[in-house]
Amino acid sequence: MKDATNSPSFGDIVKPPDVQALAEACVAAPGHFDELRGCTTAPAEAPAENATHSIADNPELTRAWAQFFENFSDTGGIDLNQRALSLERQIRDNGVTYNVYADEGGPQRPWSLDLFPLLIEPDSWLQIEAGVKQRMKLLEQIMADVYGPQKLLVQGMLPPALVHGHPGYLRPLHGVKPVGGTHLHIAAFDLARGPDGNWWVVSQRCQAPSGLGYLLENRLAISNQFPLAFQTMRVQRLAGTYRALMESLKQMSPAGADSHIALLTPGPYNETYFEHAYLARYLGLTLVEGSDLIVRDERLFLKTLKGLVPVHGLLKRVDDEYLDPLELRPDSTLGVPGLLQAIRAGNVLVANAPGSAFLESPALQGFLPALSRHLLGEELKLPASPTWWCGERSAMEDALPQLRDCAIKPTYPGSPSHGSFDTVMGTSLSPRTLDEWAGRILRQSEEHTVQAYVPLSQMPTWQMPAAGVEDHESKGRILPRSVVLRVFAVSDGPQSWRVLPGGLARVAGAGAEIASMQRGGSSADVWALTRGEVDKTTLLQPHLTPASLALRKRLVTSRAAENLFWLGRYTERAENAIRLARLTLECLNGEDQSSLPLLAWLSKMAVTNTLVLPGVPSAALARRVFERSLISSLGSTEGATSVGYYLRALKMTGATVRERLSQEHWRVIVRAEEELFSRCAEHTQSGDYSPLEALRVLKNTSDHMAAITGAQTDRMTRDDGWRLLSIGRHIERLSFLASALLRGLETGSVHTDGGFEAMIALFDSTITFHAQFQQSRDMAALIDLLVLDRDNPRSLAWVTHTLRGRLAKLAASEPDVLCALSLRVPDPKAWSLEQLCESHPIPASAGDESGNNPGYYFALNDLLLKCTAAAFNVSEEISTTYFTHSGKNKQSLGT
Amino acid sequence: MYLQITHATRYDYLPAVEIAQHMAYLQPVSNQFQKLLSHSLNISPTPTQMTQTLDVFGNPRCFFSLQSPHTVLDVVAHSVVHTVGRALPLSLSSWEQTREQYRYQSGGHFDAATEFVFASPFCPRAPEFAAYARPSFVPGLSVLAVAQDLMQRIHTDFIYESQSTEINTPALVALAQRKGVCQDFAHIMIACLRTLGIAARYVSGYLLTQPAPGTVKLKGSDASHAWVAVYSPDLPPGERWCDFDPTNNRAGWHSPGEDYVTLATGRDFSDVSPIRGVIHGGASHTLTVGVTVEPAPGDGPAGPPCGRPRIGHQNQSQSQSQSQG
Repeated sequence: MKDATNSPSFGDIVKPPDVQALAEACVAAPGHFDELRGCTTAPAEAPAENATHSIADNPELTRAWAQFFENFSDTGGIDLNQRALSLERQIRDNGVTYNVYADEGGPQRPWSLDLFPLLIEPDSWLQIEAGVKQRMKLLEQIMADVYGPQKLLVQGMLPPALVHGHPGYLRPLHGVKPVGGTHLHIAAFDLARGPDGNWWVVSQRCQAPSGLGYLLENRLAISNQFPLAFQTMRVQRLAGTYRALMESLKQMSPAGADSHIALLTPGPYNETYFEHAYLARYLGLTLVEGSDLIVRDERLFLKTLKGLVPVHGLLKRVDDEYLDPLELRPDSTLGVPGLLQAIRAGNVLVANAPGSAFLESPALQGFLPALSRHLLGEELKLPASPTWWCGERSAMEDALPQLRDCAIKPTYPGSPSHGSFDTVMGTSLSPRTLDEWAGRILRQSEEHTVQAYVPLSQMPTWQMPAAGVEDHESKGRILPRSVVLRVFAVSDGPQSWRVLPGGLARVAGAGAEIASMQRGGSSADVWALTRGEVDKTTLLQPHLTPASLALRKRLVTSRAAENLFWLGRYTERAENAIRLARLTLECLNGEDQSSLPLLAWLSKMAVTNTLVLPGVPSAALARRVFERSLISSLGSTEGATSVGYYLRALKMTGATVRERLSQEHWRVIVRAEEELFSRCAEHTQSGDYSPLEALRVLKNTSDHMAAITGAQTDRMTRDDGWRLLSIGRHIERLSFLASALLRGLETGSVHTDGGFEAMIALFDSTITFHAQFQQSRDMAALIDLLVLDRDNPRSLAWVTHTLRGRLAKLAASEPDVLCALSLRVPDPKAWSLEQLCESHPIPASAGDESGNNPGYYFALNDLLLKCTAAAFNVSEEISTTYFTHSGKNKQSLGT
Repeated sequence: MYLQITHATRYDYLPAVEIAQHMAYLQPVSNQFQKLLSHSLNISPTPTQMTQTLDVFGNPRCFFSLQSPHTVLDVVAHSVVHTVGRALPLSLSSWEQTREQYRYQSGGHFDAATEFVFASPFCPRAPEFAAYARPSFVPGLSVLAVAQDLMQRIHTDFIYESQSTEINTPALVALAQRKGVCQDFAHIMIACLRTLGIAARYVSGYLLTQPAPGTVKLKGSDASHAWVAVYSPDLPPGERWCDFDPTNNRAGWHSPGEDYVTLATGRDFSDVSPIRGVIHGGASHTLTVGVTVEPAPGDGPAGPPCGRPRIGHQNQSQSQSQSQG
């Protein structure tokens, strides 16, 4: 066989025969299990550089991997780099992110996903499945004992330090049997495949494990990249398991099949918020934050626009200790005061039952083999690598001599008050440091757990050529990377669990042995293969009860309502800012540059709408300074609140209601913001940000805005949440247009040719106007189109009419409020052209320089003032009427 | 001794609080050493919902919620108890032996008091506590002798100074500044004992404010009080906790003395704070607490009420409290 990496014959395109060769060149590091070959690479005898020459000696690829690579030959010339790029784009476009706590407030990091899935052969999968199910059963029994009779403690099977001494043991829940009878509904297990080819448990997550959403997204993305392989390889599907979980949660919840289940998230600043929103949408759950919920009479309710709605089940992604500030951490703002009382009363199912965090201690692994024999009468089918909890003297004595070959782990991870630290690998420590660790272990033995090190198996990963590298390897390579497999068990009935046939593979960075997203690792899809039938269930619900149908009408939480209202307002503000900025730049660089009233109007509008920094001289005084300030403010979020500021606000508000926006909608929002800021930064850096460039940027942003507003109009369910969004937009529009016209009259701009055209353009009505009135500059024509025309979506009549209608519909359930609110908006039916065209002559001194006196349009002026006042008042009243119980001022007291 | 206690707590809110949920530990425990003869809890405005339960340590606690706007919350607990005082018993087993009993051994003996050896939110285990405690841990001494020495040292080394610490002051800070209030002293003593492997718990309660004529008025008598209980496993089952009050340097079996009333016991303050709550609204509030402890009729004439209200003004914040003793 030829050395594949040295054959540049296909240029940059990696065609199928090449892929095979590249795969064959990918060999796991010595001592690690090679996923590609299904065996462990023998220790190297020759130096590493020679490794590629001995390929012929390597065993063949496993059947599954060979089949996976064979499937490429049918997909024609699609090159792997292209796929990798398209995958990257797809992840970005879908907005899959992972916030790393380290850069809180900073940008979200795109989710990292490898091109190749991890393949798991049917036998291997069966072994995992059986082992994980057994573990779930065992963990559930331990949980039931610890929160019940505590026999395991009395019998000395379980050290009190790992229960009473663990901060995750919640005393307020001792003696509480969870509604439905099951504590654990979801758990994740991190598995490593050792050199013997067996899977070992590295850790287990029982509190609020993450990954169930990301792995769905991974599956969607990767099955799209390799449709043929996915179809032919009998990859097990995932939907059936999610459905079983949902059905089981409902069945066990107090209201049975009609139960209302919500997903409790800590909110958009959590590192895995993307997943919460994604999962809520996929499972049809209401996505809620603690402040959306309230407990009354030991029952849990959701605060919505229509009042309180009962909640019977919570899928929680908030850590236990934050769940209830009344009984747990008083400083928590993420929880629901009184929640534990509702749980104790059996009025709400919480998955998982709070208090399971102690099961996550690595120290517990050391006791599970004996507990399994004691409780189940079985040996563990999926053991952890040998584990010693140093709090037991004999275990510590066994562990100390082998520290070099072990990982030293904190017994209480994530709890600094309990001596938590970052796991260290014995092999990476100098003899001296190793001794220091031994000393620490002797002094604080309970806080340390020692676990035998299992070299991780390595899977093939596609590595794109580094940008700018122009050597013969630039077409990309397949390289081995260490991998940890996270699998999930979910309940499918009382005391019954199934294992999700798939998972989340976490891939370590180059040369790393710890696979962690926080440390620059990546993820991969997991294909669990079967010899049997593939279950093609989808999540579509087969039969709907009337109650579940009623619930399907999307609930609008008070918090979501407020955010949607602001989403509408920011959308319209962004629109207005873009339109005004474009118009201003066009006028400043157009034919009519010297019309003073026009310049005065534009300056006033720019200042009122904060497109320029305060204190900047008007366009009439210093046109270029004014223009530069306007341009430099476009992409700035400080000082001026121009286009960039509103786009960012739009995105941030959108993020809080992410689950209500379609994928496309969200994507455009993200792209609009990103592109504007990156282009503005580019031009600013180059030192030459010309009006022409600025106009181009604005044009591009404007296109995005058209897509965003299109999605808002056409791709959102028209429930009350949408109504508030629309009301938000119309309030802004009313205020913006009315004040624009008011200032046009004030400055006299509207009576000049350029100003007249500009006004019509700002109302986005140029085409309509010229179709109706050709080149006329008649004020009556302008008033007719911009104020009275009921068919023009930017005429004041249309805006006020729509606003009145939406307000009335929103208030439908509370008739008094709705009418009152609608009536605050001027009624366009009362307006007449004749009246609005009436004008007084203005005293000569105030006339414009051209000498003709256009007069003072008192009725129009009066109407415009009423419109701006109405916009302000309605906004205030909406806040007090609909959002007041958003519950922001929650605080804890104690004596 | 018959004692009656009135514990009045008042919150004044501005603006009104819309919804509030509270948890109170205001009912004294009743057991073989302290009899609760009567108890009433009056709350105004009347709670929408109220439940009484026992917590995991067997302390009575009360949940109540208010679901309509209110600008004042008054909680008045009135209790009559009968107390006894017993001198510290004799304990022979050394602290080293005692500590060994809490060490885990597979299949070994389990003692429920082990729970009080572990760190808790207000009583972390830290080398600083070990360093301070070490001189009291003379080899071979009994746990009770060690505790008594430690209590005495804290009483001597530390300055009692009201307002010198906040409710959330970590025990480590109080240890470093060598001053605090009863709650800090209790936390420090507990942390010292636990760091060296001895089980100790926090006791919330009261101390008689009007002692017999001729005696010095004791500190901490105008508010609720707090002290420490230490576990000695060689005593008869059910009678293994001995109480130590580092604030007043007094100790006894089950109680530092008959002029003490036990409200509740827990790992530290956070388990048994007299009232805690979560409110919606009420940006600023004023807290007023008045505690009166006096001999009850039937046990000599009642002295004049002497609870001095303590007023604290606090601005908007997430968590606020009044410390014990």
